[in-house]
Amino acid sequence: MSSIVRSFRPEVDPNKCVKCSLCQTFCPEGTVMLTEKGIIFDYRFCKGCGVCANECRAKAIAMVREEG
Amino acid sequence: MSFTRMMEGNEAAAWGAKLSRAEVIPAYPITPQTELISNIASMIADGRMKAEYIKVEGEHTAMAAAIGASVTGARVFTGSSSQGILFMEEPLWMPPGMRLPIGMCIVNRSVAPLGTLRPDHMDSMLQRDTGWIQLYCENSQEVLDTIIMGYKIGEDKRVYLPVATCYDGYFVSATATPTTVPDQKEVDDFLPPYKHEWYSLMPEDFHMHGREMNIAKARYEVQQAQETAKTVIEEVEKDWSKRFGRYYDGLIEEYQCKDADAVLMTIGSMTGTARDVIDEMRTKGKKIGLIKLRCFRPFPREELRKIAKKYKAIGVADRNTSLGSAGGGIMATDLARALYDVDERPVIADFHVGLGGTDVTMNQMEYMAKETLKAAKAGKFKEAVDWVEFHDLGPVM
Amino acid sequence: MSTNKLFDEYYDRVHLQGGTTCCPGCGGPLLWRMILDAVGPKTVVYGDGPCAMCAIRNIKLPNFSIHFSFAADGATGIVAALRAKGREDLTVVSSAGDGSIGDISIGKVSAAAERNENMIQICVDNEAYMNTGIQKSGLTPFGAWTTTTPSGKEAMKKDIPLIIAAHKPPYVATASVAYPNDLKAKLRKAKEIKGFKYIHTVIPCPTGWRFDPAKAIEVTKLGVDTWVWPLYEIEAGILKVNSKSEQKPVKEYLDTQGRFRVMSAEQIDFLQKETDTRRKNLLEANGKKLFL
Repeated sequence: MSSIVRSFRPEVDPNKCVKCSLCQTFCPEGTVMLTEKGIIFDYRFCKGCGVCANECRAKAIAMVREEG
Repeated sequence: MSFTRMMEGNEAAAWGAKLSRAEVIPAYPITPQTELISNIASMIADGRMKAEYIKVEGEHTAMAAAIGASVTGARVFTGSSSQGILFMEEPLWMPPGMRLPIGMCIVNRSVAPLGTLRPDHMDSMLQRDTGWIQLYCENSQEVLDTIIMGYKIGEDKRVYLPVATCYDGYFVSATATPTTVPDQKEVDDFLPPYKHEWYSLMPEDFHMHGREMNIAKARYEVQQAQETAKTVIEEVEKDWSKRFGRYYDGLIEEYQCKDADAVLMTIGSMTGTARDVIDEMRTKGKKIGLIKLRCFRPFPREELRKIAKKYKAIGVADRNTSLGSAGGGIMATDLARALYDVDERPVIADFHVGLGGTDVTMNQMEYMAKETLKAAKAGKFKEAVDWVEFHDLGPVM
Repeated sequence: MSTNKLFDEYYDRVHLQGGTTCCPGCGGPLLWRMILDAVGPKTVVYGDGPCAMCAIRNIKLPNFSIHFSFAADGATGIVAALRAKGREDLTVVSSAGDGSIGDISIGKVSAAAERNENMIQICVDNEAYMNTGIQKSGLTPFGAWTTTTPSGKEAMKKDIPLIIAAHKPPYVATASVAYPNDLKAKLRKAKEIKGFKYIHTVIPCPTGWRFDPAKAIEVTKLGVDTWVWPLYEIEAGILKVNSKSEQKPVKEYLDTQGRFRVMSAEQIDFLQKETDTRRKNLLEANGKKLFL
């Protein structure tokens, strides 16, 4: 649903991710979560602001343009 | 234990709040309401009353705190006058729309300019569009009784509206008359604890009255509640009369109206003067009566339409002004609208009297009664509104 | 478990539904998630700051607000009613924006402090009337562009924390979403204190401050690290500076935001000097009872 208003979406490279959860701490909407399976995003509500990608020390999150 | 003694209106009001078991009282002093809250403060300090008295820093805050407390589930009491009512006007619109049965006293005082401490009905009548129920009292006893009845009315599920008990500054607030204070247990029997079904801020039970997003619908619902209130007010007053032996006749009182040609319509403390004047005129054979308007909002449209055809003229003592209006005072405007399409409607003789709290003298009352009788005979009134104070009616008594 | 379900549970746990109508990168929902994590579920939230209102709407705990000009007053009524009902186990968090606390309702917050109302008063400060389209407030910083100060604000930012501290309440603090541990610790401390607690947080506003939303935390952190927005607490009148004493140049902070582009070199210089003086005074008074 949010892809209508979102220009970019965050995508994580699990090989680069060090599971520090800073992205979860700083996501303004709370739509980033660290689980046993790694970082997941709630694309229903993510606004694509890019804070998670900006704060990630390991540069594991990239902001990818929404299709369409 | 019930007891009777001389009591000023402001003290009677404090007793009303105490007997109603008001739980949260956010209030700010302003003449002529001041003794109401200092009486409450004393009663709390010496243990006669148990309530959270919040000494707020202004009337705007007083009403906001009242709203917060009412939503949380407490029975709330507050009061103010004049400029204080104007200052609390912004939040004052919230309780009716939110359906919060807050109780307040409006100790009537005119509004600036010109600055005065004396009473007319500008401060309360300015709020007539808000949806607050407004009941006007003639003396200390009526103030005490009305405050308690007000909670029973407002907290009725069919109503859920805030109630303003209005009484004239000085003439009622600071004038001592014999007042019976009922027994607390008997009042508890009449008025159960407050429990609003639509609101709770407790985490176990959080729910809020649904925000009606359609404004027309929301206002319509308040209007319906005002209409229903008319029935509830009558019910509550009859119940009160059965238990405590004092009946205020519901929305209006007809006094000495039997076979009257014309009637005066008064409101508030001037009614006392009117009763005496009309009694005297009756002994002289004048067919003049009195309608006391006790309930101003909801305006008793149906009751007035029912009795209107009995009289050839109604003289309205408007202790208020609505400058630039269609003609005359606020009560007369409401009355004219109520009676407009009644087949044999009376002449409306409108008077501005007692503005800024000048005394409504017996001479003035007699003048208004005579002019109304004249209008009844002539089938019309000489002008849109007669400013009584401009006439030299001789010495006061 | 599906991702959606995991997140639904998460939102319940943090008492805040994801997906507010706040702007992307707004510090408001982030602040609330941190506050609610610290104070826990036995809390009643009062108030809005029109921007933060977009976040408050998503709170999953009892909450109520009147509107803009009603800071701390409705909460005063709630506190009294809870006391009357014997429910002092509940924490009342009252919040309002900078326009409310700094301008139109400053008297109310002052009065609540004077009455020592038992509540945590938060200021959600995004440094202008943002929800109505970026108009200046008393808490807009010196030199900042807004639609009503297009050449930059001439007056200094009002120092609300110290104004409130002069009322001698039990606890006053400044906090930042860029330092979440510090912020949460302050809220936990406030929760245990009886009386009026005031916590002033500056939150990033990408829309009004003019910067890429992705930099929201970076910009906020710079505000603290340049001592433009220092972190400190005043507990029972004694000052404790939380900010580390190293200071980055103020210009580094100003350069990140479009709203400061209207500032002249002299104004930036002036702001640096004011910030330096402030830092000096705070560090000198650190650990002492403040003269207020």
